Amino acid sequence: MAVLELPDWMALAPALILAGTALVLFLIDSIEPHSTNRTLLSGTAVAGSLSSLAVAVWFTVAGVGATGIENYGVIDIMNGQFVVDQLALYFMIIIAVVTALVTVASYDYLQDHTYQAEYYSLVVLAATGMSMMAASNSLVTIFIALELTSLPSYALVAILKDNRGSVEAGLKYFLIGALSSAIFVYGVSLVYGATGSLQLTRIATVLESGDGAVGEMGGLLGLGILMLIGGVAFKTASVPFHFWAPEAYEGAPAPISAFLSSASKAAGFVLAFRVFTTAFPLEATTGIIGVDWTLVFAILAIVTMTLGNFAAATQENVKRMLAYSSIGHAGYVLIGLAALSADGGDLVMGAAMMHLLVYGFMNTGAFLFVGLAEYWGVGRTFEDYNGLAERAPFACGAMAVFMFSLAGVPPFSGFWSKYLLYTELINAAADNTVLLVLAAALVINSALSLYYYSRLVKALWIEEPLLDRDRLAQPTGLYAAVIAAAVMTVVLLPAFGPVADAALEAAAAVVA
Amino acid sequence: MCVRFEPSNVTEMNDWIAIGALALVGVLIPFGMMAVSYLLRPTVPETSKRATYESGEIPTGGTRIRFNIQYYMVALLFVVFDIETVLLFPWAVAYQDALAADIPLVRALGPMLLFVAILLVGLAWAWRTGAVQWARTPRQLESDRP
Repeated sequence: MAVLELPDWMALAPALILAGTALVLFLIDSIEPHSTNRTLLSGTAVAGSLSSLAVAVWFTVAGVGATGIENYGVIDIMNGQFVVDQLALYFMIIIAVVTALVTVASYDYLQDHTYQAEYYSLVVLAATGMSMMAASNSLVTIFIALELTSLPSYALVAILKDNRGSVEAGLKYFLIGALSSAIFVYGVSLVYGATGSLQLTRIATVLESGDGAVGEMGGLLGLGILMLIGGVAFKTASVPFHFWAPEAYEGAPAPISAFLSSASKAAGFVLAFRVFTTAFPLEATTGIIGVDWTLVFAILAIVTMTLGNFAAATQENVKRMLAYSSIGHAGYVLIGLAALSADGGDLVMGAAMMHLLVYGFMNTGAFLFVGLAEYWGVGRTFEDYNGLAERAPFACGAMAVFMFSLAGVPPFSGFWSKYLLYTELINAAADNTVLLVLAAALVINSALSLYYYSRLVKALWIEEPLLDRDRLAQPTGLYAAVIAAAVMTVVLLPAFGPVADAALEAAAAVVA
Repeated sequence: MCVRFEPSNVTEMNDWIAIGALALVGVLIPFGMMAVSYLLRPTVPETSKRATYESGEIPTGGTRIRFNIQYYMVALLFVVFDIETVLLFPWAVAYQDALAADIPLVRALGPMLLFVAILLVGLAWAWRTGAVQWARTPRQLESDRP
């Protein structure tokens, strides 16, 4: 293969392409304000996210940022403010995939909507922030990426301006988001105060060397880390900052719920993975603050998955059920951070990353199906969905795939990612009983989740409809996105091995 | 946790004493003025003294009114220029030195041009979509129609 010599900053291309797409969308809207040319606007956004995806996949395959004998190693941009490694590219892929699915689905969902160009440019801007977050290597760039992700998200949740639910959800999301951003940035300032550095690798160096006054500022550092965890918990919709999620997802337009619950969550997790593996090396940090930070994540993981699943089981509203289930899945992924204290913790983290990728397909697909139901106008509760399969067998078949995959039923890829997570966790748990508790919680919660996921499948396929329906429309974009997500959930099966290897390798490279 | 105390040193004043003294003076001056004027002034009670603005308009209605969204638009557009200045200023200071240090023009000027271009796209978009057009009441729109 011909070796292409690209400048270092080109390694950020997946994020830069998204940024460029957003600017192109602004230009289109400047040339023709309030355009209703949905094909052009949606097409631009889809093309942008797909090319971002293509470049990220190409980079991964070509070994950009990979460590190893034949590769050039991690690419460092702007003196370590950004870093492009396998972890960054892996999450850039997840984010680009979800963005592409969401923009395709929005083509139909936004029919007759007033703010077409604004909608797409905000989606792509938020995706830019998430993509940048994957590569950020300093608390400053992380915070800027976090805000670039959050600010468009607030507007997107409230974009149905005449819909009371949407505006209410936007306000709640904004208030909690502002609070957690403040907590996060305060945490950043405390960590800076204790270590005198904002760049993650330099923080780690200071902690390990124990230079200067760091040793005496354990309390300050510990509080700062706790506040950083608060910011992460908001972005990933984990306890204790989870309560915005059901409100925001329910009120927001369904494609935006899909976007927030998949891409935004993935971005939150890459932030957590990056910060906690790079900046706070476990032994040195434990020596200074006196507490093992993986313990906090272990507790949060158990509480988050249990709360999410139990709350989901009691919901009558499908979108709320999915929202709580997404909280539950955040709990599963948090295991990846909780297990870092044990040998083989990097493998658990890789498995958690794999689960995030699979989750990106199945959860986005599930929310887009809800978007399809909203497009049909069938209602919001389980009863309203009764017997939809008679009229729309393909979409309902796809939804059944998503539900069983989310529940972790073999043979779908959701099962394999959970299985990988479970086996790696058991392997790592040899000398750590906390991890055994986590593994037990994972299994129990997965079993419980089967109840409410299969309840929806039962409503779709078995129950009789409450009232006779006319033929349901078949919107091309929404259908295409839902089917594509379902196909990917299934196609990931044969490709599971190599992709999982890529995830494990990326995790190992960061942890080591 | 171990707390250390500086050995007491009579000749050297603690920094905090100065700050405390400043705070004390800062509180004493306004209260002193109020106290002195209370002692000196004649007492002439009058209802108009209770008004919010003694020599201004008589306020009507509550304070919780809706502001025109336009104010926020102007504030947001201001941010565009504000950020631009914040970044242009340190760049302008370093620019000559950068050229003197033989940094190529593309690297010294290019990023800033790109940055300004991005902001210009934003400004053009805001202008084009009517952010700088003063919002009109339905009645004004009515009278504009031919």
